[in-house]
Amino acid sequence: MAATFSIGIDLGTTNSVLAALPLGVEGASIEVLSVPQLTAPATVEGRPLLPSFLYLGTPEEVAQDAFRLPWGSPSAAVGEWARRQGAEVPTRTVSGAKSWLTYSRVDRRQPILPWNAPAEVTKISPVEASRRYLEHLLSAWAQAHPEAPIQQQQVVLTVPASFDAVARELTREAALQAGLPENFILLEEPQAAFYAWLANPTQSWRKLVREGDVVAICDVGGGTTDLTLISVAQENGELVLQRLAVGNHILVGGDNMDLALAQLAQARFAEKGVALDAWQSVALWHACRAAKETLLAPDGPTTCPVTVLGRGRRLIGGSISVDLTREEVVSVLTEGFFPPGSLQVRPVRRPQSGFKELGLPYESDPAVTRHLSHFLNQQSGVRLTRVLFNGGVFKSEFFRRRVLEAVAGWYGATPESLELPHNRDFDLAVARGAAYYGRAKLEKGIRIRGGAPRSYYVGIEATGPAIPGIVRPLRHLCVVPRDMEEGTELDIPGDTIGLLTGEQAEFRFFSSLTRRDAPGTIVSHATEDEVQETSPLVATLPAAAGGETDFVPVRFQVRLTELGVLELWCVSTVSEDRWKLEFSVRDEG
Amino acid sequence: MRLFQAFRVFFRVLSDGDFAERVARAESSTGAGRSAPAATPAVSPAPAAAPVKPASRRSDALTLLAVFQREGRLVDFLQEPIESYTDAQIGAAVREVHKGCRQVLERMFAPAPAVPTAEGAPLKVEQGYDPGRIRLTGQVSGTAPWQGTVAHPGWEAKRCDLPEWTGTPAAERVIAPAEIEIR
Repeated sequence: MAATFSIGIDLGTTNSVLAALPLGVEGASIEVLSVPQLTAPATVEGRPLLPSFLYLGTPEEVAQDAFRLPWGSPSAAVGEWARRQGAEVPTRTVSGAKSWLTYSRVDRRQPILPWNAPAEVTKISPVEASRRYLEHLLSAWAQAHPEAPIQQQQVVLTVPASFDAVARELTREAALQAGLPENFILLEEPQAAFYAWLANPTQSWRKLVREGDVVAICDVGGGTTDLTLISVAQENGELVLQRLAVGNHILVGGDNMDLALAQLAQARFAEKGVALDAWQSVALWHACRAAKETLLAPDGPTTCPVTVLGRGRRLIGGSISVDLTREEVVSVLTEGFFPPGSLQVRPVRRPQSGFKELGLPYESDPAVTRHLSHFLNQQSGVRLTRVLFNGGVFKSEFFRRRVLEAVAGWYGATPESLELPHNRDFDLAVARGAAYYGRAKLEKGIRIRGGAPRSYYVGIEATGPAIPGIVRPLRHLCVVPRDMEEGTELDIPGDTIGLLTGEQAEFRFFSSLTRRDAPGTIVSHATEDEVQETSPLVATLPAAAGGETDFVPVRFQVRLTELGVLELWCVSTVSEDRWKLEFSVRDEG
Repeated sequence: MRLFQAFRVFFRVLSDGDFAERVARAESSTGAGRSAPAATPAVSPAPAAAPVKPASRRSDALTLLAVFQREGRLVDFLQEPIESYTDAQIGAAVREVHKGCRQVLERMFAPAPAVPTAEGAPLKVEQGYDPGRIRLTGQVSGTAPWQGTVAHPGWEAKRCDLPEWTGTPAAERVIAPAEIEIR
């Protein structure tokens, strides 16, 4: 049966969204699915956003069927209620599972979340958490569209542009376990946001950009910042779009800003001699988010009270309140997150106290503008001409303006000339764009040319006499060139490598967002800044008949599928045999 | 005989939570549940094979009240004696209550004026007008059409999306559960 819908799924760090576009229907619009979810104990409400949180209940809650949904009774709650529980019962709530997928210091298939949970809580792995969020979305889809089983639809799942091959593979694994069709497509989130922009029927994008433009997609969500550059060129009279570069995975977002304001307010309370408990601190965080939105609105007031209501029944009697002024909020947020500076400024690297949680590698420098300038500075010869915003933070004109002013200063442009008219709904744009892309891929619509966002390297130890106490220098063999196109295959030239049969061969594996080496190139001196180690690759060659061990000479072969999946193979040079290399995400610590 | 059984069930429901739950399930499985029968998904990802239990039938009024309490602390606010507080104290708290309750109101009912004419503007009321939508006040004499001024454009809920409550009968009347902080 042919697909009847193109379905876009945004599996976000803080919110997940499913959007669907009917196929073969002239003038059809993209609809966002209303996802039934628990918004409070025993209360099911449909919402477009499914918060990516998982609450693992007490035995009583599980026994009493407290997480009952229209389609069954899962053993844990996903969604709005789980998000609230995350603040009030953090030891039983999984949050930020997606960020854990990128964290190579832990085994992401092992039950490690909630991080630091007590022993009696049955933990789950980051992969399983992602699977559960997707299962929830798919169940909601199955309920709303029993006539269109997900297995038969065109499905596009988005991942951050900064995800490396391992994080993509783990996401794919979770998606297939959740029941996505085998041929679903992975798409980078900033590209999806760009597709949502292209899909806007009220504007013609061809009139808004022109040949030679370089567009930065600046996506700052609740917890992460994702950057991508897209160039506009012309071929045979048609505009073509090419993804030039993607940025690192940056763990800074709107939550950091709210927490920074909460610290300011908390200090103000402390001056009054009021100490806040944990529950009040959470309430304060939310109050500060609201105050931020009020004060930064185009004609907002100059001061705004931040009130934390009494915890118990005494609402008014227990309330405490301080005033925040527009001036101080602007100063805290500008200095902390959007400081002006030159294009040569790099993010500050120093251990910083404050809003840090043990575990995830949060950024030590929360300055979005410094991350942006560092990213742009790495792309030699690129001159940014346009900015497209995405992510909840940029709902506020204030933050858009800060970024535009910084970029305008770097390139001698005016802020007004830089900004592209933005997407209508920042929270839903990625899922919408993914659904649009799914159709474009089937019906040959406009597509951004992408390819591999990183180059990849296999670590090769230099040969030479062993000297005690001296580590042999490691060289990097380039196996995937950056921008390698989807749907292509490459044989990596160079010397053969001997693999022992009957044993597991393990290779150290590296990636780079900035280097552009040809396949087969051996890099002997790469800085840690340029090349980062990811999880190792392993392949087990079957033992030769008779149990004798033997060396098999192999070369590397690499495939990047149409679906965005990277595959590395060891191909024997003496027989027809080939073995696939798998990522090993075992705990290395 | 049935009367005796009815009493026995009645008292056991009151005293035995598990039993009450079973009665509720037996009762709702007779088809009285108001939720639409869930279609069996062709691909069931979650362990969705479990029989779908229709929601318990709690009054929608209680469910709505629970939402206003949870998101806007409305019950706490109305139940608190406010005589001893200053206007400034009340004002600070009311801003929070107002913000929370308004979000609920917008999300569930999306209130919009019942007539599209602005307050204070003239409006001609035609013959055969809908008295459910328009209420005439003042010197109403003669027959339609009447010429008047909109004193209040009214409110109309553009949607009515109440949450579905799926709790146990024992907790049916709970507007807000007690919060016990474990230290």
